[in-house]
Amino acid sequence: MRDVFTEIWESIRRNKLRTCLTGFAVSWGIFMLIVLLGAGNGLMNAFLTGGEGISTNVMQVGGGRTSKPYDGLKEGRRIDLDERDVALTESELFGNHVDQVISSVSTSATVSYGKKHFSGSIEGSFPARRDMDKIEILHGRFLNEKDIRENRKVVVLAEDQAETLLGNEVRDSGARFPGMKLDVNSGKKVQVQDLLGKYVRVGDFSYRVVGIAKANDASNSNTVYAPYSTVRVIYGKGRVVDDITFTFHGLNSEKENDAFEEQYRAAVNLRHRAAPDDRRALWIWNRFMQNLQMNKGRNILRTALWIIGLFTLLGGIVGVSNIMLITVKERTHEFGIRKAIGASPWAIMKLILAESVTITAFFGYVGMFLGMIACQILDKTVGQSSVSIMDEQIAMFVNPTVGLDVALEATLVLIVAGTIAGLFPARRAAQVRPIEALRAE
Amino acid sequence: MLIELKDVNKTYNNGQPLHVLKGINLGIDRGEFVSIMGASGSGKSTLLNILGILDNYDTGEYYIDGRLIKGLTERQAADYRNRMIGFIFQSYNLIGFKTAVENVELPLFYQGVSRSKRHQMAMEYLDRLGLADWAKHYPNEMSGGQKQRVAIARALITSPKIVLADEPTGALDSKTSVEIMELLQQLNREEGMTIIVVTHESGVANATNKIIHIKDGVIGQIEENREHRASVFGTSTIMK
Repeated sequence: MRDVFTEIWESIRRNKLRTCLTGFAVSWGIFMLIVLLGAGNGLMNAFLTGGEGISTNVMQVGGGRTSKPYDGLKEGRRIDLDERDVALTESELFGNHVDQVISSVSTSATVSYGKKHFSGSIEGSFPARRDMDKIEILHGRFLNEKDIRENRKVVVLAEDQAETLLGNEVRDSGARFPGMKLDVNSGKKVQVQDLLGKYVRVGDFSYRVVGIAKANDASNSNTVYAPYSTVRVIYGKGRVVDDITFTFHGLNSEKENDAFEEQYRAAVNLRHRAAPDDRRALWIWNRFMQNLQMNKGRNILRTALWIIGLFTLLGGIVGVSNIMLITVKERTHEFGIRKAIGASPWAIMKLILAESVTITAFFGYVGMFLGMIACQILDKTVGQSSVSIMDEQIAMFVNPTVGLDVALEATLVLIVAGTIAGLFPARRAAQVRPIEALRAE
Repeated sequence: MLIELKDVNKTYNNGQPLHVLKGINLGIDRGEFVSIMGASGSGKSTLLNILGILDNYDTGEYYIDGRLIKGLTERQAADYRNRMIGFIFQSYNLIGFKTAVENVELPLFYQGVSRSKRHQMAMEYLDRLGLADWAKHYPNEMSGGQKQRVAIARALITSPKIVLADEPTGALDSKTSVEIMELLQQLNREEGMTIIVVTHESGVANATNKIIHIKDGVIGQIEENREHRASVFGTSTIMK
């Protein structure tokens, strides 16, 4: 091994400028690949922020409006789901796939604490919501069965909502020291957990705060959670529910999901005297499918970026191949001597291949290193900023960097690329005939 | 017989077929010091290439030490060249970016000899040829005679069965030429090395013990030259 590297070093040393210029193209190719993938990751991460915390085996359905006449009724009729739909979902009909079914009712309300308030909505929900939506409780607890049974007036707030109520104004001024601010009411330092057990007003009623959940970046609705039974009773919702959410199992492909959705839609639609195939009468939000599509989209983006990157790299590889051809041409005489004194064709080939791989790998790593630095710079600048769209802070890039996996993949690409670049020149070198090479002087 | 050629024919097919070797029969014994003499175009270079396993022949048989050299793969040919034949060329054919000692080491490198072992052996051979002080020098820092001695060291380091010298004095002045020929004579005499010199210079041929004349692709006269009187220009000089 050491001998091979000595040989390569001797060869490269004689052609420093040429090698560097060629290597630059390779560096550039890998640099672009890394930066592209990093930026792509940043874009994807920004898109998916919060989304990765959602269970994928969950479907949520809500009522819509009919889009076609059916059973003597006109189109455009509003479909309201009610508790009989919940019962239908729970029934034997879908027992093969449906596990747990919950529903929710919600109404808009102003939430206030002292002088501070925000407008949002209160959702009557069930304890199972926590798992379905992956709600992370930071302090206190989520709703429990007892809350439901006893129609307790308790509420779970999101962290940012709690901050707002405490006057910490995280949402407007940007997070500096979340959870450690002065209480505007008392002038003392307060933390969000101090709100636990306190009463906040939601609409006309007081609710006791039992839990603080982690703010969910993905949802921009300002929802607080209260027991289903409480909300239903207070706001006189009757049997109507806003949505039905259920977990399911055994639906592992797009086809199975489509079939299930169709069957489910038909059953619910018919109960409301809507056409069984009316896709607008019932909205189905299947997180499994969404996740599937998201992954598909992510893979397409990733593949596209790899292809662009690899094509950029291709220029560099052609350059290396070209320069190796020139090297072989220049060293024909030397290879002739080597072969005359006993070098096998493979020994000669190895020399060129190793040189090609070394040049590609070395300059590739330089490019990769610079690319990673560029990604870090991107992360520190663009990655920290966000644009304001309709009062909503949206980050354009989140963590636009590449992982170790990409570095390993790129290493593999470099070695393969170097081999390919060297293959043709190496074969040519191996085919040098000693008598002809020795004659050429 | 160390070397045996039986009815070896070689035709080049570059446009018009050119029958270069027309049934060569030749035997060379171990420890002989032979020259092959002929004018350019006589086929002596082709013969040398075949003897050196650098080129193949069409029909006939060629044995080295009883082993038939025919239809070899490139790898086998390289291996045989490496182990059985030492080459000395007119233009030295040293690798310019390697030092003298590295050049001498090279055949051992292709045998897979370890670094330190081959360095030690190369130094020994350079020392024997009086070039120990020049081991770290590059070929372009040495005189023609020195370069040729480095090349001879390289040819000898694998202890080959045959040393093939192609116009070994062709690029040297007459004084150095004599020195090199004396060196080859000494190698033959003291170590029993089988040496075949290809030349068109009668003075060089005269330094050898047997002169094989080749003309138009056939072996002509084979003269014994123990007395070294073959040169028309005198016995102890090489006419340039």
